[in-house]
Amino acid sequence: MSATPAAVARVERARLARPNGWWGMAIFVATEATLFGTIIGTYYYLRFNNLHWPPPGVPEPKLTLPLVLTGLLVSTSVPMQLAVNAASRGKLPRARAALLLAVVVQAGYLGMQVHLFVHDVHEFPPSGSAYSSIYFTMLGAHHLHVFLGMLLILWILLRTATGLTSYRMNGLRATAFYWHFINVLALCVVGSQLSPLA
Amino acid sequence: MATTVTEPGLKRVERLERIWVEPRGVLGWLTTTDHKRIGLLYFFTTLAFFGAGGIEALLIRTQLAEPNAKVLSPETYDQLMTMHGVTMIFLFVIPMSLGAFGNYLIPLMIGARDMAFPRMNALSYWLFLASGLFMYASVFLHAAPNAGWFDYVPLALKQYDPGRNIDFYALGLIFNGISSTAAAINFIVTIFKLRAPGMSMNRMPLFCFAMLAVSLSLIFALPSLTIDLVYLELQRNLGFHFFDVAHGGDPLLWQHLFWLFGHPEVYIIILPAFGIATSIIPTFSKRKMIAFPLVALAELLVAFIGFGVWAHHMFATGLPTITLVFFAAASMMVVIPSTIQVFAWTVTVALGRPEFRAPLMFIGGFIVFFVLGGLTGIMFAAIPFDQAATDTYFVVAHFHFIIFGAAVFPILGGMYYWFPKVTGRLYHEGLAKLSFWLTFVGTALTFFPMHIIGLLGMPRRVYTYPSSLGWGAYNLSETIGAFILTAGLLLIFWNLVYSRFRGAPAGPDPFFGGTLEWATTSPPPPYNFPVIPTVRSAYPNWDAEDRRADVARLERGELVLDGGHETPASTVVDAVPDEVLEMPGESPWPLAVAVCTSLLFIMLLTRHYAVAGVFAGFALLAVAAWHSKEPQET
Repeated sequence: MSATPAAVARVERARLARPNGWWGMAIFVATEATLFGTIIGTYYYLRFNNLHWPPPGVPEPKLTLPLVLTGLLVSTSVPMQLAVNAASRGKLPRARAALLLAVVVQAGYLGMQVHLFVHDVHEFPPSGSAYSSIYFTMLGAHHLHVFLGMLLILWILLRTATGLTSYRMNGLRATAFYWHFINVLALCVVGSQLSPLA
Repeated sequence: MATTVTEPGLKRVERLERIWVEPRGVLGWLTTTDHKRIGLLYFFTTLAFFGAGGIEALLIRTQLAEPNAKVLSPETYDQLMTMHGVTMIFLFVIPMSLGAFGNYLIPLMIGARDMAFPRMNALSYWLFLASGLFMYASVFLHAAPNAGWFDYVPLALKQYDPGRNIDFYALGLIFNGISSTAAAINFIVTIFKLRAPGMSMNRMPLFCFAMLAVSLSLIFALPSLTIDLVYLELQRNLGFHFFDVAHGGDPLLWQHLFWLFGHPEVYIIILPAFGIATSIIPTFSKRKMIAFPLVALAELLVAFIGFGVWAHHMFATGLPTITLVFFAAASMMVVIPSTIQVFAWTVTVALGRPEFRAPLMFIGGFIVFFVLGGLTGIMFAAIPFDQAATDTYFVVAHFHFIIFGAAVFPILGGMYYWFPKVTGRLYHEGLAKLSFWLTFVGTALTFFPMHIIGLLGMPRRVYTYPSSLGWGAYNLSETIGAFILTAGLLLIFWNLVYSRFRGAPAGPDPFFGGTLEWATTSPPPPYNFPVIPTVRSAYPNWDAEDRRADVARLERGELVLDGGHETPASTVVDAVPDEVLEMPGESPWPLAVAVCTSLLFIMLLTRHYAVAGVFAGFALLAVAAWHSKEPQET
């Protein structure tokens, strides 16, 4: 017994305040932002404690590929927002197509990133220095968040297969919010990791 | 809401009973999402951990009662001292004040029928219980954490502490942090969104402001502890380098991140005490809190300033002087919101017609210890004094006056104060007053001599001391004090247990309290209120006309919400009713997620990382199963 998309759109228009789910996600994002703030803070703390950053024997980070990949990931914010806008006007198929597009691009990004991660671990393992320790910790935390964000999208895709309800609409809105946040994090992470080149 | 009379009103109440009833027996408790039952689960669990932490404290005090005592070996002493700190902070005070008091009272105070995320609330509890058991398993394996509750590196690194002790600590606290984060999110959203119609922010009880401040602090403080612990585990078990200079790390990084969490943590511990004080004082002084908005702001301000003072725990580590001066100044600033509150509490009592029943007496004890501990706190903000007194018993004296005298006394007073609400019976007033004097004298006798002995030079964390230094008499008096304090605590416990079965019936509102928890029956029904109350002031239960209007609305069937498992949601600032939410009922999945998470952490402890990944997958599946039950929409 699921509500019609039109009914969901009506609820969306009548709403005075953001729903509980949105607030829950907003506060979760606040704590996650602090988490990444701490990791990035650690990166610079260790950097200013070291004369050579990266230390001798460790290659400098590459510039082009990380930037291209990050651009690709950040661009998925567009289909995510399109999905929210379409669903809140009751256009479910369009919303699901946008979600699918986003998650495919994100999966490509994550696959490529994991490949590079494994390559780097062999080249300069995290047990080698404080630089590589924080480098891989930061990247690993970022990848984990991309993975969790993708799980959320897949879950919404699965649930909306049987129709849209206000409850699922709240879930979609929260998921999109989380993805915008992950993309901001991606920019901060790649900015920090490329900072030795500046 | 004592008097409903007519047929339609009673019918509605019966319908609510049927909708909100939960399964009986053990199964009901395992699957419950009722914030009151979860609050009680928190209460009894934290009480058990309080007992464990108390026994540890008594063993420590027995060992220190005389010079060269041999009650405990140095290794056992280190473990007990560490577990005492970890238990009292992470397994007693925070879950007691936020988990038990917050859970039980916040929805009642704001006129809601449940928390914003009832199943996540259950999850918080089960994760908390599991993390506590996880850490206490170490005691039975003779591998309890042993590097102090702040676990300084390099002492806590593998080379110097090769056992599992520190891994229990690090993983246990990450585990515990997940529970606290979930609880904090839940409290913030509940306070923002579920307030009764008309309860705009400026009419919200000060208790809720305190809990809001605590929850916000947790949200922004816990990540730095979590990350610090992750670094520690990576360095201990996978060979990463964060804290060793040889590979470009820095041991002070641990301390910065630890205290970036640790100092807000101190205010997380003390703020609920402020909240309880601002609940008890108006009731027994029979007047509203004076300077209400200032007190609300001061509560939030304490939490905020708490994030800018962490390095005052590191004055003796050789940081640059300019850094020290900044942190000393920031630490001094805490005086301002604290003093605003002390004046507001005392002046409210002075301007009212105070009735010194046991809860108010505990608040009196709280104010005494808070002022004494606060004054020594100001002394520590002076850098030269701190550098001279650091790592002595003066520090132990200071923070026990605050963490025990100031943070726990309101909890004890609050137990008496809300006992009639929770059980429907009155506690024994005479025994309660006696228990206050025992705990008050015991606390003073235990912790006051520590100031003197600290100034005489006795260092913290030593398992014994030679007789030639003349510290014996002070230590003996502290030990005697600790046993008097224990007698007082046991008397409270006995009073509550006895009164639970033999106490006089309390009725809905024995103390004429001003907040909404007193507007419903004792104990409250599963749906809290037959009618969602509407609010026009900060002390809505003193607005007799509004409460009579509630009864009339029950007759008419307005705001009864007996069409389902429902509670209203409102706008964040003005509490304008916005929508009616269908709340989830009992669910086995939070417990299942907690079990999978426990297995995940056990596997991390035993370094079976692949199996740990499998259990993480199971936990995700359980989360999926949890969300497969959705509210019905038509």
